[in-house]
Amino acid sequence: MSKIMTVDILSSIKGAQPSEAVNKLFDVIKNAHTNNNSLNNVNYNCVSVNDLREDLVVESSAIEKELIIENFPNKKNGYLVVAKIIED
Amino acid sequence: MESQIKALHQQLVTKQITCTALVKEKLELLKKNTHNTVNSLLDTLALDLAAKVDAKITKGEEIGLLEGIPFGIKDVYMLQGTFATASSNLLKNYKSAYTATAIQKLLDAGAIPLVKENCDSFGHGSSSENTIFGAVKNAVNTDLVAGGSSGGSAVNVALDYTVFSIGGDTGGSIRQPAGYNNIYGLKPTYGRISRYGLMAYASSTDCVGPLAKSIEDIRIVLNVMSGKDAKDQTSITSSEITEDAILKNTVKTVGYFKNFIENDAIAPKVKADFLQSIEKVKLKGIKVKELDFFPSDILVSTYYTLAMAETASNLSRLDGTNYGNRIEDKNLKETYAVTRSENFSEETKRRIVGGNQVLSQGFSDEIYLKGLAIRDQIAANFTKDFEEVDIILSPVTPMSPPKIGDSLKDPLAMYLSDAYTVGFSLGQLPTLTVPQGTQTGLQITAAKNNEELILKFANFLKDTI
Repeated sequence: MSKIMTVDILSSIKGAQPSEAVNKLFDVIKNAHTNNNSLNNVNYNCVSVNDLREDLVVESSAIEKELIIENFPNKKNGYLVVAKIIED
Repeated sequence: MESQIKALHQQLVTKQITCTALVKEKLELLKKNTHNTVNSLLDTLALDLAAKVDAKITKGEEIGLLEGIPFGIKDVYMLQGTFATASSNLLKNYKSAYTATAIQKLLDAGAIPLVKENCDSFGHGSSSENTIFGAVKNAVNTDLVAGGSSGGSAVNVALDYTVFSIGGDTGGSIRQPAGYNNIYGLKPTYGRISRYGLMAYASSTDCVGPLAKSIEDIRIVLNVMSGKDAKDQTSITSSEITEDAILKNTVKTVGYFKNFIENDAIAPKVKADFLQSIEKVKLKGIKVKELDFFPSDILVSTYYTLAMAETASNLSRLDGTNYGNRIEDKNLKETYAVTRSENFSEETKRRIVGGNQVLSQGFSDEIYLKGLAIRDQIAANFTKDFEEVDIILSPVTPMSPPKIGDSLKDPLAMYLSDAYTVGFSLGQLPTLTVPQGTQTGLQITAAKNNEELILKFANFLKDTI
């Protein structure tokens, strides 16, 4: 069953509404003429399979781990606390 | 202006100044400044590094060209252990866990970071007013905006608070503030400098680049930061540009976009000054060609459609779970929503919502995918142009800098003011702003990975206009 999701839900921003200024930009695109042969996607930033980096696990440094923990928003009794998760 | 890096290097090695005195002087200027360019000062780190440089000089050891040279960093880059706020409420207490590749290369060369610089939040803006640290004031006239989003970086360079600064350019964010503050600013070819450790705005056009007061300093810093990086798979290999290679002009044909100049949106003075610059170039025996290009409104709309889509995706990670200013609510979804609603600025929310609109079912075909198709046409147009001309010359902006407060009232006008910069971003082309030719400078663009030709032509323009 399809469920219509409004932009406030999609954006996780309460009360978000499409902006008039931004809609004006989108109207220009909607009305623009495009050449039918233009879907060549020359801008693909493909990475050759021969050029992929090594699939290595790199251990974070001690200071990096410390900073990640320091940045965590909520801690209690030595645990990192996340928001209550519900299913709906 | 000659290279400040070389002049300071000479003063350091001949012991006319100490590195500590140099760093202290710049820190003092930054501390006292009333242009709102500073998000955080890196004084302890900078003074420690300066003491090490002084110790080397005292021992008679050789130092590198960038060793001891103070620089600034737009506050969207990671530098381990320092704040990286993106000028946002959400990340106002966030500390970088690691260091960006481009910044690490400068540190390895011995340059000294002084300051994390004010900018539009997450790069979302063209005026450096969309920030929790106060609007950045223009270096020339404090009633006017500094430009953006790398406004703090441009003003710091213009006022000599930093010798050079590292900005980020997605749709003009280095070139436009460079133009507004009369300095040089380079957006390199997409991928020439690794984006690893730069907070992502629109990943397909985000570029790392230098702002400085001389062409030579741009060259020096560009060389140090360039190169392929395994941590950014879109990065590319490039060759070092030597000082000698950019001294003699080899450009024979210059093009400019007729429709940029022949329209009602350009200020008469900008138009007259640009055409006068073209005449001066012609007088030097260089052939000038008028080129056809896409209308400005199509360029701006294509850029913003794609940039908003990409930023909606990139910023979806900012939900206060692992980092950021989390605001707790009754459950996970509400916590996400409240955290994002309360912590993102109006402009950032506008762009995220716009991005999600164009990515939604029913809209993606007629807006997002069409935007991608137009981008392909723009890129094809550039390929054709560079078969006919060596360089494309254009104004940086159609108008002079607006007054502080005006851009916030009229976002559409702000988007349209990016008309001359966004096309080159979509084409992923290298473009340099030079502080000449019009009140907000000129842009020099070349084919991909041809920064050498741009710097060569910039040297030629310096003596021509």
